[in-house]
Amino acid sequence: MADIDTHALDRELKRGSAELLILSLLDARPRHGYELSKLIHTRSGGQLTFHIDSLYPLLYRLEERGWIKGAWVEKPEERRRRFYKVTAEGRRVLAQQRKTWAAFVEAVRRVTGDEHA
Amino acid sequence: MPDWAQHVRTRLSQLRLSPTREAEIVEELSQHLDDRWRELIAAGVSSDEATWLALADFRDGNVLAQYIEPLREAHPPASVTPGAPSGHWLSGVWHDLRYALRTLWRSPGFTVVSIVTLGLGIGAATAIFSVVYNVMLVPFPEKEVDRMVFARIRNPQQSPESGRQGYTATEFLEFTENSHSFDGIIAATGEVVLYKHGEGTERLNGALVTPGTFEFFGMPALHGRVMQPSDYEPGAPPVVVLGHTAWMTRFNGDPSVLNRTFVLNGTARTLIGIMPPRFGWYGADVWIPEKLRREANAGFADAPPRWFLLGLLRRGVSAQQAEADLTIITRSLAKTFPQLYPANFTVQVRKRLDAVVGRYRPFAAMLYTVLAAVGLLLLIACSNVANLMLVRATVREKEFALRTILGAGRTRLVRLLMVEGLVLAIAAAMLGIFVAWGGLKSLVAAIPPNLVPAQAVIELNTPVLAFTLGVAILTTLFFGLAPALQASWRDLSDPLRDSGKGVSGGFRGKWLRDAFVVMEVALSLTLLIGAGLLMRSFVAQRQLDLGLRADHVFRTVLAVPEDRYKTVDEATRFFRPVLARLKALPGVAGAAASSSIPPYGGAESKIEIAGKTHAGDWQTRFQYVSEEYFRVLRIELAEGRTFSEADLDGARKVAVVNKTFKQKYFPNESPIGQRVRLGMLKRAADVEQDAWFEIVGVMADVRNGGPNVQFEPEVWIPYTLTASARVLMVRTSQDPGTMMKAVRQEVWATDSGVALSIPGTLEDFISEALYAGPRFGFLVMTIFGCIGLILVTVGVYSVLAYSTAQKTHEIGIRMALGAEGPAVLGMVVGAGLRLVVAGIAIGIAVSLVLVRILETQLVGVSVYDPPTLVATTLLLTITAAIACWIPARRAARVDPMVALRYE
Repeated sequence: MADIDTHALDRELKRGSAELLILSLLDARPRHGYELSKLIHTRSGGQLTFHIDSLYPLLYRLEERGWIKGAWVEKPEERRRRFYKVTAEGRRVLAQQRKTWAAFVEAVRRVTGDEHA
Repeated sequence: MPDWAQHVRTRLSQLRLSPTREAEIVEELSQHLDDRWRELIAAGVSSDEATWLALADFRDGNVLAQYIEPLREAHPPASVTPGAPSGHWLSGVWHDLRYALRTLWRSPGFTVVSIVTLGLGIGAATAIFSVVYNVMLVPFPEKEVDRMVFARIRNPQQSPESGRQGYTATEFLEFTENSHSFDGIIAATGEVVLYKHGEGTERLNGALVTPGTFEFFGMPALHGRVMQPSDYEPGAPPVVVLGHTAWMTRFNGDPSVLNRTFVLNGTARTLIGIMPPRFGWYGADVWIPEKLRREANAGFADAPPRWFLLGLLRRGVSAQQAEADLTIITRSLAKTFPQLYPANFTVQVRKRLDAVVGRYRPFAAMLYTVLAAVGLLLLIACSNVANLMLVRATVREKEFALRTILGAGRTRLVRLLMVEGLVLAIAAAMLGIFVAWGGLKSLVAAIPPNLVPAQAVIELNTPVLAFTLGVAILTTLFFGLAPALQASWRDLSDPLRDSGKGVSGGFRGKWLRDAFVVMEVALSLTLLIGAGLLMRSFVAQRQLDLGLRADHVFRTVLAVPEDRYKTVDEATRFFRPVLARLKALPGVAGAAASSSIPPYGGAESKIEIAGKTHAGDWQTRFQYVSEEYFRVLRIELAEGRTFSEADLDGARKVAVVNKTFKQKYFPNESPIGQRVRLGMLKRAADVEQDAWFEIVGVMADVRNGGPNVQFEPEVWIPYTLTASARVLMVRTSQDPGTMMKAVRQEVWATDSGVALSIPGTLEDFISEALYAGPRFGFLVMTIFGCIGLILVTVGVYSVLAYSTAQKTHEIGIRMALGAEGPAVLGMVVGAGLRLVVAGIAIGIAVSLVLVRILETQLVGVSVYDPPTLVATTLLLTITAAIACWIPARRAARVDPMVALRYE
């Protein structure tokens, strides 16, 4: 397993995985806020829910950091919607976070799994 | 379809988003809500329910605004030149300031209580310290006051702070010519100055001053000029300089008196100058130039050492060096004037300030007590605010955790909280200045004027104001920062996860809050006990029987031209007709003369009693009185008789003694008919030497040493034996305050050259002399005690109200499980009273140690006075119990369903 930065791990655990979730979902394709909240809810089997009042501030913060970019998209016969996509910087962060997360999961698996191996 | 935009906009209203950005967010979130609503409708939910469910995604407390607030877009840059580096930091502080004001405005209870609490503490401390500073530490306006010293010739057998402070003219000249430690030495002595004008004579306090006096103090005249070297020369035109107070009271501040001529003690003197208010050298009304000469002492070894000397130490010269310097000179003086120097005498050099502090020592002790009390008050105020801030910190814990999660750095939070703390401290400071200003005005009005040095001008002390402000700012900052520090210490996701279901209160600051409550209660009890003791002592003093009746008595001290009243005959020729005239006045029940002002006894003297031998000295106080003295003062006769007119007329050698005298010197026999000899009388030139006095009567005891002291033996003898009676007393049936004019008329009708000084009622004099200090102390302490009590009530209440609110959920569960209202009430009150009882226990322990500093100021009450301890403890307990009961009652009324639904 790759060495992981213990400070980074610590920080990620504290911050939670919200950023990772958002970046991962946007990595596939641009999405709007409502779609993101539906996806997180359904894909987690209802375990994770983003309230409207925490989801959007999080998106705005990621945008301020330059990890994602929002843009209004107009479609015929529909109101315009704001879609978010991951920026190059966001991809780099996402890769790093995935690595850290994987390392963490692996570490936990080793600790908890070896007993029954 | 509902108007989502309105719901979103309301939630964003408190943020400073740009209009465009706000419109974008409103549009985006409205769309989200709309999507959700349509989905719910599609699933068969009714329109209303769908609207409710969609909006339910917004949580209580406007989480949306809290999350967005830390983002940069919520703080658009101010419209300054791009690239200006400092603008960003300043505008950040500006936003923090606005945010702080908004936050404080939204919690008015907290804000008002904090500001008032701190303001009172700052104000009271500043006012009291200003008094102490101006009265005790720096009463003199002169810059060089630290270098001004006086010297004492000490008898090593006497107590350390005593010794001769008066010198002869020769000693003064020797010091001036031969010492090397001083930049200058001046001398002064008091002199009664009789100022004769058209109607009669007035008495002024004069001081004879030596050349260089005004230069020594470096203070110019307010009008006219000070004395010049030529004014002191013999044969120079006689001049006088007038003090500001006398100028204002006697001449209504009329500047035209300058250059006028006044007849003072028979000499016509030109008034050349009026001094500014703070010049009060030797406490005089007028200063008269005097050049001292050795000839004055030649061949007269007994010239009284009556000159008080003040020296200005050379820079860099210590008091010890000056002592050594003066010791050499005095050793040689002692050979010439052995009667002036005790064996093995030493010279002690002290700062001028010590003379003042010594003179006003009793009041100084009271002031320092009050200062200590105000210190306690400031401590209570600060712990109260600290507590309020800690409570608030806990409430805001979640807010700050959220801010941190959303990217607000710790420095950002700290800055925000510092701004909040500063806003509070500055508001409290403004209130504090106002309180100090108003408080000082009332204090100055309440301070007995005869108990502070004349030069002292009591004004607001800026260094102290700055100090108390510093304390206030530190308190608010330190405890205001607690939430920020808390937020960064804690696992940040915690408060979000448990969403505030604080069953235990959960915050590690709890013990700190409890500790503050305990400390406040303890401090407040200490204050209350102090105030209670002083109050009891004051009441005891007022109730103390002085042994005489001071009501309806007018009294004045006569200032007579001493050269015309040297012999017994001269004095008696004046007093007999004056007393007769006064007795003849309508409404006058009696008139008497004496040598001391009641209740005080006269001078002390050694005595001998015929037929009795004893080891050691026998002492008594003694004074000269006229026959009606005892009747005017209503002093009761215990045995024998008082003086008759014949005793006085014949100047018979008879004496009346008090009960204490009898008990001490004639414990088992009657003193009537016994004979006593007064050692002091040997020095009086006009009495037959070694005269024996026959005791004719015994009177009840009068508090002749003051109210706080044991009775002392006293002997009264006829005033017609000496020329020393100077006090006139008149008992009237009407208000004695109205007698002034009539008495003056009768005195002047007999001799227009005699002046009435300090005329007034005996009751006022006694009230001022005996009770003014204690009254001031107990009034100020009572005010502080009350403020302390209020602060503690607020402290106990706020902590309990908070912890009860935190426990609403727990209380709900308990009540749902069957706990009754009274049980809940008991639980909450019990929790509060535990702290109060702990505080009281500590408070009593602390008080028992601290009250000892009050010991010297208490009369008729012990420092461990059980009634005071019980009463103050009860008062505090009851007040605290009420403070506990209010939140407890609220808790007992909690509806379990509401409490459980709370989240």
